[in-house]
Parts: sequence; structure tokens; C-alpha cells
Amino acid sequence: MLQTLPRRAVVALLALSVFFPLGLVLWQSVLSGPFFMPSAQLSLESFVFIFEDPDFWMATRNTLIIAVGMSVIAIPLGAVLAFIMVRTDLPGRRWLETPILIPIFVSPVVLGFGYVVSLGPVGFFSVWFEALFGHVPWNIYSLAAIVVIAGLTHVPHVYLYSSSALRNLGSDVEEAARLSGASPFRVARDVSIPMVSPALLYVGVLVFFLGFEIFGLPLILGDPEGHLVLTTYLYKLTNKLGTPSYHLMAAVATCIIAVTFPLVLLQRALLKSAQRFVAMKGKSARQRPLALGPWKWVALAVIALWLLLTIVVPVSGVALRSVVSSWGAGINLLEVLTLDHFRAVFEEDVMIRSILNSILIGTFGGALAVGGYLLVGLATHRKPDGLSRLVDYIVLTPRAVPGLMAGLAVFWVFLFVPFLAPLRSTLFSVWFAYAVVWLAYGMRLIQSALMQVGPELEEAGRLVGASRARVSLDITVPLIRNGLLGAWLLVFMIFEREYSTGVYLLSPGTEVIGAQIVSLWASGAVDVVAALSLINMLLVGTGLALALRFGVKLHD
Amino acid sequence: MTDKTILSVDNLALSYGSNPILKGVSMHLRRGEVVSLLGPSGSGKTTLLRAVAGLEQPHAGSVTIAGRTIYDGAGGIDIPAEKRDLGLVFQSYALWPHKTVFDNVAYPLKLRKVGQGEIAERVQAALKNLGLGHLAERYPHQLSGGQQQRVSIARALVYNPPVILLDEPLSNLDAKMREEARAWLRNLIVEMQLSALVVTHDQSEAMAMSDRILLLNGGVIEQQGSPQEMYSQPQTYFVADFMGSNNILKGRIVEIRDGEACVEVDGQLRLWGRRRSDAAIGQEVKAVLRVEQLRLADGPGEHRVAIDLATSMFLGDRFEYVFHAGDTLLRAWGSRPEAAGQRWLEFPPEAVWVF
Repeated sequence: MLQTLPRRAVVALLALSVFFPLGLVLWQSVLSGPFFMPSAQLSLESFVFIFEDPDFWMATRNTLIIAVGMSVIAIPLGAVLAFIMVRTDLPGRRWLETPILIPIFVSPVVLGFGYVVSLGPVGFFSVWFEALFGHVPWNIYSLAAIVVIAGLTHVPHVYLYSSSALRNLGSDVEEAARLSGASPFRVARDVSIPMVSPALLYVGVLVFFLGFEIFGLPLILGDPEGHLVLTTYLYKLTNKLGTPSYHLMAAVATCIIAVTFPLVLLQRALLKSAQRFVAMKGKSARQRPLALGPWKWVALAVIALWLLLTIVVPVSGVALRSVVSSWGAGINLLEVLTLDHFRAVFEEDVMIRSILNSILIGTFGGALAVGGYLLVGLATHRKPDGLSRLVDYIVLTPRAVPGLMAGLAVFWVFLFVPFLAPLRSTLFSVWFAYAVVWLAYGMRLIQSALMQVGPELEEAGRLVGASRARVSLDITVPLIRNGLLGAWLLVFMIFEREYSTGVYLLSPGTEVIGAQIVSLWASGAVDVVAALSLINMLLVGTGLALALRFGVKLHD
Repeated sequence: MTDKTILSVDNLALSYGSNPILKGVSMHLRRGEVVSLLGPSGSGKTTLLRAVAGLEQPHAGSVTIAGRTIYDGAGGIDIPAEKRDLGLVFQSYALWPHKTVFDNVAYPLKLRKVGQGEIAERVQAALKNLGLGHLAERYPHQLSGGQQQRVSIARALVYNPPVILLDEPLSNLDAKMREEARAWLRNLIVEMQLSALVVTHDQSEAMAMSDRILLLNGGVIEQQGSPQEMYSQPQTYFVADFMGSNNILKGRIVEIRDGEACVEVDGQLRLWGRRRSDAAIGQEVKAVLRVEQLRLADGPGEHRVAIDLATSMFLGDRFEYVFHAGDTLLRAWGSRPEAAGQRWLEFPPEAVWVF
């Protein structure tokens, strides 16, 4: 709760931060050249150019294949996983929850790199497999492999939403069906699944949407055989014409947003209808798990296989690659163990700077971002008026803009707004881009914390004489301390994991590990990439360990 | 309205979107008086209280407290809740879980920039007054429901607001404690000469606690008056039905004589009662008779009817008899168990209201 004037100022600043970069992208897309060139005029030639480019259509086709394919893989797997974890008596469920969510927090570019060194043509696992069975039946660089990997790594997203929907479903509705004469199978078919279907529909749209955004995996896995997706097509455009082809990039970005923005709106509508469904749930919180019997070994095997493929294989690959000097067939790994890659990292100022910057942006930047989200949250907290609805949509907007493009837009803003230009090569520009890109995520954390505060606690404050601002300061904020700490840790992890947003902002002084890996990968410095990837995972892991230590829920 | 009036609400109207909740409510509260806002859920009673407190936004009418206008739709006056200087005891008590009992009660004084020494003194006095002196350092979750309620009252009283508002003050206590707390609260209000506006959905609570009751229905005041008036002289069917336990018989007027009407129920039972509406002969009406007014008689006589007793139930302090009169169930109270079978029932015409 904030008073009118600061409230308007907060919302105005927020709107400016979101719409100015986005507007710049849209405007740039209808110019004939970079917008800072005097010769640039209103024109659709950038769209004509990309629409005539066969690569654009190839990228569009691949993006669609990946989006559909990963939905087909991730949704059934995630839903089954959620059912097993929430509704059955699988042994070790409690213990499995955290590993299942890990892929969400590992940078996709690190994951992609992990798959290359593990399952690539000379990867550790490929070499072992070939030694055992004679040949390797998979090709990690094929489009099918990208689809499978993208599908498997997005299972946690599906798991998150379907498990919370299943958890909200009181077992009384199921018991009522049992008593009416339905077998457990009929109960699942006629009651449980229809009741969580709004959540499944929502998550289906979400995963499809994420398919349009993925960048790290296709960047690394799609490169050798030339499988472009829209985001990597955009990334490669930079070099395509030699000159800064900003208008072309903006046109591609506009095309992506034209697809993602309606998807975001659709998700919002679906989430609302899903919540309506939840409101009708049975009251009983106690749930009696379904006895799996011997099927539990099958369930455990499925989960173990999935964990092996999505976490153990890529992560162990990265870890191993970072401590060996050479790899491939016929090499005894024990003889090539080395710490040279880490030495190389710590000998170069740029690398040290990128590690320090990453830590700074996660800790201080994360806290600052949470503070900003909190201000926005307080500005709209329990004020269901037009301004709050506007904030709802403002918050949603960056969700539709993949990080790579958001970083580009912020780069343009800092390049051409005169008083911001000096800040471009400081960490502030990167922080700003991160904070905007993760606005919707952060706001969800803040809002769910704020919703925990009973409205009457704040009203009581007003009644005894505290102004809105005073109530926020003395009652609301102290009451959500733990939620804020949790939000900070989660934002820390998300900021450590982030890679694509920093790509265009990479310059001396603004290096962060994620963007550095993307840039180094392009130059082929695999050794350093391995070391940096491991350091990146360690940072995320530290955040994760702290979050678990403080009992932070990894989802809401 | 006299100068004793401390709170007056004039023609207050409030809507949620296009859904009107209060449709022009007027009321007043005199100094040292306890007024209950009574009504079924959705009648607007809590909304009225919250509008007075400044927690809901009316769109017309006015509210004045101790001569100071705090809301006036026409005049564009809308004092924010924190400047209205009212005390509100929330249904859930709304104690701040991160503050101790002492800090909860001290907070209003701290906001009023009272000095540290005086705060300690006044808070201790308020807590002692409510029997909480020894609990000052505890946190709300370490208290029982009854103690939490007292802290919440202490917090609302510590800055001496001219009017104290209580929202369903007893509903969070269990049934047994509720009656004790009711007596304690009434005593406290009288002793401290508080002017109180109480929201409740429980008619016996309203009658026990208040000097005056306002019965709300669908956003308007259906009737107001002292508890006795409300109970024994209901103006409308709604009031008659809402207050007390009733037998309700649906029938048709067959005869009218001197302000009394004869109602025929199910074509068999005929009973005389006071006319409370201008329904004419032949019209469908409802006859309302308090359960305690329907008496078991020892034999035939005037206003007596023979009806089948289905069962008797033991309620602890009395027996309740259940009768079948066609499709209608009738209830009466007595002191002895009665076996099933036909019995004579007396319908005293002065206690039967025909609406």
C-alpha cells in the first residue's frame, strides 16, 4: 500500500522501463536502417528481407517443430511425474522433489554444453557407449535430439503446475467417487484428471510458448548441422550483413513477439480459469496416497532414468570436462586430469571480472530487483483499480520478450538515450535488463508473499491511525520478511542462470558468466567454457543450498 | 437527533460494481449506547461497519462522528481510515503476529507520537484493565482465543476513540465461551461507558449485548428498536422470522374481524391471529408464532386444535415436541416428555402474527 503520488511514480517508472525498450524494437522494425542513422525512413523492407530469406522460414519451421515436440514430450511426462509424486506412496518422494526441479535452475547453455561433452560424437558417454556396444545410435546435433532434450529439460515446468493443482485437489472429491462405486482408475479418469485439466491446459500453452524462447540449447546443439531456430537466427543476423542490421533483428524480434504476446495473454486467461476451478475444490487437505505396490519400482526406474538423462549426464559431463585436458576415444581420463582450465580462468582479468560481476548481479542486483518488485507490489497491493490492472499488463509484457531480444532492446536504450549512455558499459545496464526480463517472475514471488498477509492485519493498522505508507513499513513488509528472503534467493539463482539477456550487453565491464560462455563458445574456447560452466553451476548450487537451508519453497 | 448523538450515518449507499450493497442506510448512535447491526449474511451489516471505519468506499450519503464529517458523498469529503480515530475490533482479531502483545497495543500510541514513558503507562493500564497484565511480552500465537480477543479490544481502546466498532466479536470463540464473553463484553462496555457499534448475525447475541438493534435486510434497515420491541413487535414478516424460533404456517385468509384474521392452513387447520399486513380475504399469507408461544393444552377449547405429536426431543433445559399438521412441522416446548399421539395445541391469537 502506497500513497497516491509515489504510487503513480512507481508505476510510471515501471511502464517506462518496460515499454520504452519494447517500443524501440517495434519502431526499429519498420525503419529502413538502424534508427540512429539519419537516412533511416519508415519502411517495411526489413520484413520483406527476412520473409524472402529461406533461413528465416527454416528457423520458423524448426521453432514450431521444437515447440510442438517438446510439449508432446514434456506434458505427459511432467503430468505423470506429478501424479506419482503427489498422489502415490512412492518411497523417497520427499527426497526426490528437489532434484526434479533442478533443471529449471541450470542455465540452458550450460546444459547444452553438458550434452555436447557427454553425448556428442566424442562425448564421454558416447565413447563409453561405443566401447561397450560397438556404435552410438544417437546424433546429438540432429533436430530430433534437440527436441528430445528440450522436452526432457522442460518436464519440471509441467511438474510444477500439475503437482500444485493435484495438491490442491482434496481427496474428498476422489473418495466421494470411490464411495459412489468408481474404481481407482475410474476415479483418476472421471474426477482427478478432469479437475486438473485447466492446469494441464495452462502448462501446455506455457511449454509451447517456452519453445519459442529457447536459445541456449539450439545455439549449441543446432550449430554443427545448421539447425536454426528464430532466436538463433536473430543472433546470427548480427554477422549476416557485416553492418549492424538492427532493423532486420528488430523485424525478427517483432515476429517472435507477435506469436509470444498472444500466448502470454492466453496463459493469463487460462490461469484465471484454472484458479476458478481450484476455488471449487473440496476442503479436505488430507490426502490418502494411492498404494503403488510393485509398480513403485517401475515408477522409480522412470524417474531415475529421467534424472540421469536431464541432470546427471550433462552435469557430470561439464564437471568432468572442466578437469581434463583432452577427451575422445582412446584417452584414459585419469591421465589427463588437470586444473589448468581453472588456472586459465583465474589468470585472466576478464574471467575474474565476469565471475565477480555474476556474483554482484546475483546478490546486490538480486536484492535491488526484489526491492523494486516489492515497490511495484506494494503500489498495487489490495488496490484493485485501473492502475493496478495496468500494472498487471505491464508486468506481463516482458514475459513475451525473450531475454536475447530484451537485452538487445536495453542495449539500444543505453546506447542512444544521452544521459543513460555513460551507464551502458557498467553493470547497471545488465542489471536493468535482468530486472525487466524477470519482472513477471519476481512479481509472482512478491505477490504470493503479499497475499499471505491477512487483509485485516493491514486494515487494523489503518484503523489505529497508520497511513498506507506506514502500514506497509510497519506491518506488511515485516510480515513478509521470509517471503522476501526467499524471493531474493530465487532471484539470485535466476540471475546466475541467465545468459541470453547479457549477450548484446557484453562489453568490457559488463561481463557476466552466462553471456561470456555464449561468446567464448562461438570462439571455440571449450576448456574455459567448461571451467566457467562448472563455476556457474556452483554459484547456482550455492543459492539452491541456501534456499533449501532456509526452507524456501522452490515454487508457489 | 440530539447533541448526545456521537455517530450518525445518513442515507449511505455503496455498491460493488453494479451490485448495490447498501441502498441508503441511515442510523445514529448516542453516547454510551450499544447498537447492534443484525442481519443475515449478505444484508450489508459488515459493509456498513467497514464503510463507517473507512475500509469500504461508499458512493453517496454521509457519516459524522462527534460532530466531524468523515464522509460526505455530495461534499466530496472522505477522511482516510487512519484519520477517523475509530477503534475497530476485527472478527479475526487481526493481531500483528510479528509484534508482542505490548507492541500491538502500543502501536496506536506510537503513531500518535505519545512519549515512551506514557505509552508504557497507558498500555499497562489498558492490559491490566482487561486482565492481560501478565501477558505483555507474549506473542499473539502464544495466547488463547479469548486472550487474543481482549488484546484486540485493548488495542482498539487504548487511544480512547469516541466510538468503538466490533465486527462479529464473539464468532471466533467456541459456543461455551461465547456466552461468558458476551456477559463480560457487555459489562466492559457499560462500565467504561463506551459507545459501540456491533455487527453480529446472531440474534440472541444482539439482544443480549445491545440497547438498540438495527436489523438489515438486502442493504436497507428493515426495522430498528430496542431488543424487546424487535422481538415482540416485528413490523414485517422478515423481522418476525429472523428474531426468535418460529412456527411458520402458510395459508389463506378466510375471515377478517377487528384487526384479527383467520387463516386456513392446508384446508383443515384454522387459526386466528393479529393482522400485520393489509392482506385481504382469499390472499396467501404466512402466520408466524414463536415456538415458546405454542402451548400444549389439556383438552379442547377456544383457539385449540388437535394435532398429531410425532416425537419429543430432549434439549437439556426443556423438551421440544414436533407435530405434524398436514405438510407443516410445528414445534412447541414443554417440561415433560410426551408420547406420540394426538394432542391439543393452543394458538393464542395475540401471539400469532399474520403477514
